Amino acid sequence: MSSKIFSKLLVLMAVFALLATACGNDDDADTQTTGADSTATAMAESTPMADATPMAESTPMAESTPMADATPMAEEMDDEVVAGFVYVGPVGDAGWTWAHDQGRRYVETSTGAVTRFVQSVPEEGPDFRSTVVDLIENENADVVFATSFGYMDTMEELSGVYPNVVFEHASGYKKNDTNFGNYFGRMYQPRYLSGMAAGALTEANQIGYVAAFPIPEVIRGINAFTLGAQRVNPDVEVHVTWTFTWFDPAVEGDSASALLEAGADVIAMHQDSTAPGLAAESAGARWVSYNSDMSAFAPDAFITAPVWNWGPYYERVIDAVRDGSYTPGAYWGGMADGIVDLAPLAADVPADVVAEIEEVRAEIEDGSWDVFTGEITDQDGNVQVAAGEVMDDGAMLGMEFFVEGVVGSIG
Amino acid sequence: MMRPVLVRRDRVLPAVQGFGFLVGIFVALVLGAILLLVSDSNPVEVYERMFDSAFRGTDSLSRTLERATPLALTGLAVAVAGSMGLWNIGAEGQMMAGATLATGVAMMTDGLSGPLLIAVMLSCGVVGGMVLMLGPALARSHLGVNEIITTLMLVYVSIRIVEWLEVGRWKDPDSLGFPRIEEVPGQASLPQLFGRANVGVLVALGLLIVFSLAVSRTAWGYELRLAGSSPNTARYAGVSLRRKVLTALLLSGGIAGLAGAVQLTGTEVRLTPGLSNGFGFSGIIVAALALMRPSGVAVVAFVFGAVQVGGQSIQTLGVSAAISTILQAMILFGALTAVVFFNYRIRWAGSGDGSDV
Repeated sequence: MSSKIFSKLLVLMAVFALLATACGNDDDADTQTTGADSTATAMAESTPMADATPMAESTPMAESTPMADATPMAEEMDDEVVAGFVYVGPVGDAGWTWAHDQGRRYVETSTGAVTRFVQSVPEEGPDFRSTVVDLIENENADVVFATSFGYMDTMEELSGVYPNVVFEHASGYKKNDTNFGNYFGRMYQPRYLSGMAAGALTEANQIGYVAAFPIPEVIRGINAFTLGAQRVNPDVEVHVTWTFTWFDPAVEGDSASALLEAGADVIAMHQDSTAPGLAAESAGARWVSYNSDMSAFAPDAFITAPVWNWGPYYERVIDAVRDGSYTPGAYWGGMADGIVDLAPLAADVPADVVAEIEEVRAEIEDGSWDVFTGEITDQDGNVQVAAGEVMDDGAMLGMEFFVEGVVGSIG
Repeated sequence: MMRPVLVRRDRVLPAVQGFGFLVGIFVALVLGAILLLVSDSNPVEVYERMFDSAFRGTDSLSRTLERATPLALTGLAVAVAGSMGLWNIGAEGQMMAGATLATGVAMMTDGLSGPLLIAVMLSCGVVGGMVLMLGPALARSHLGVNEIITTLMLVYVSIRIVEWLEVGRWKDPDSLGFPRIEEVPGQASLPQLFGRANVGVLVALGLLIVFSLAVSRTAWGYELRLAGSSPNTARYAGVSLRRKVLTALLLSGGIAGLAGAVQLTGTEVRLTPGLSNGFGFSGIIVAALALMRPSGVAVVAFVFGAVQVGGQSIQTLGVSAAISTILQAMILFGALTAVVFFNYRIRWAGSGDGSDV
């Protein structure tokens, strides 16, 4: 994050000053340290919540009825829509922020909207707020997409300050009735499928999972992945370590190496960098990446990846803003909408498993089955979802237990 | 063999120093313009946007003050220790400790009225910062352990403690499973002055005035500076070095802790592991630019805040985060270099000359 790099520069400069002044000093300023290390604090991506009511299915914007004069954008319809994007990481992360930026590029060509983006904006401190204000006041943004959980409270506040601008927040749970909505995707669905491929390829029956923060979104992904792996390989164990960062290649790589040394031969991850894959590649192990198809970074290790495809959603919102039909929603789309998907599978995934993955994908997409269908027991052997029951969205969005087969703890 | 040695100039007029500061910034802006041209941006447009977003209108000005406030407090914290040659590198951690204690007390004393609660929280900020500094201060004063390392290490300890509280004991049960600490009570927010600027500006300004006078005009301040520049003379004059080290470091920690509490009650709504947001580290550079003089901290913090606000705002013009960060660093580096060269001159010393350093 820019402030982090900035801090490091500052400490380097301080040391420079220290050296300069120490020259004239007989005092004991003899040891300097420059370790303004990363303490990534971001609570980036997370989970959406419909305000009070769990949304039955996804609530795509297109369904909402146009609201003639109440629409916020009515007076700006002749201008081209200006869309501002605020990212928590660098667009070059190949992961979360990169995926959002692909969506931005997509709408630039598909809708003709003018786009502006600002990357590496910390979630705490005044940066985010002033960035959004700049986007609105200097760049005349009609809609602002903020793509990290920690932006939520400020988005809520600014949606009141600028009633004529649309605020769309990825991964949060707050919204209002006029100009502030949230959106996310059912990443647990492709995670389950990726777990099936990983479960088929592990020989040690031990998979390491490098995970960012113990929040429902990440826990849900670990559980879905584990259930998928167990479907094809009942003996598999998934070992979890927390990194407390979304993007810190060094920490992510170290965590993956530690899991590999402890006996895992496949690494999965809920992180935004490619570092766990590089660790797996150099150890001769396998890797399930996340966010985007990262096969180019570790071609031998790569198995598959649950991936984001934000473009179509951004296109829908921008179209609705342009024609004045925008109404805020709490969108949580699944594989059927294409907002989440599975990257191509490695060539050595057994043909019968490939076929089974395709079957399950079809069931998920036509809605006849979903991942958290009972019977599901937690780590302590308690039944969390009874046989034949399907977990509702509210329970999924607040998930705070690990399924049987996960080795690790929450909090 | 000749090598360069920095020698303190005999006499530096304060006015000349301010001039040096401006020259440094100007040189950096020229170099930055080249950088911007190379990266396909229009320097005039970029600099105009930087200036506008930091200074034009009360709203922009308030954004600059919003950032200058924590920078001034952490800068003062570092400068107080720096007045006697000590380096508090850990203001970042003391900020977190202050904000943590303030949050804890706010949780226990929810019923208090606004002004009283704010006073209690700010006091707890001071205490929290001092508590975190107690170890390094005692280790330095009694055992001679280098405070640079100990204060820096504790930064990570205090941030990890907040992470631990966030996922554990202080996790808000109403946050739908997200590890977040509950918001501080509504009545505990510092009153706004205008725009984004809050009463914290006045707190910082008041403290800067008090410490400027204390360091430059009182016997206590004289002893502090004397103990820093020539410990033997100070000892001969009957100054207790141990006591001075202890007070300077504890005050430094307390001020940084106050910065954390001001940030918590002023601009943030809840304690998070990112609350200190690099302000503590930036405070080191603020103090260095101000040559460890509390009187210079206010100006430097204001310029620094403006550079940060401006640097952030040019990203919406399409300037990348990396270029923006380089530009910000260049401006500050330019100012720092200029100040150093206005206070020191280079002398080329031969290897046989043992009289240098």
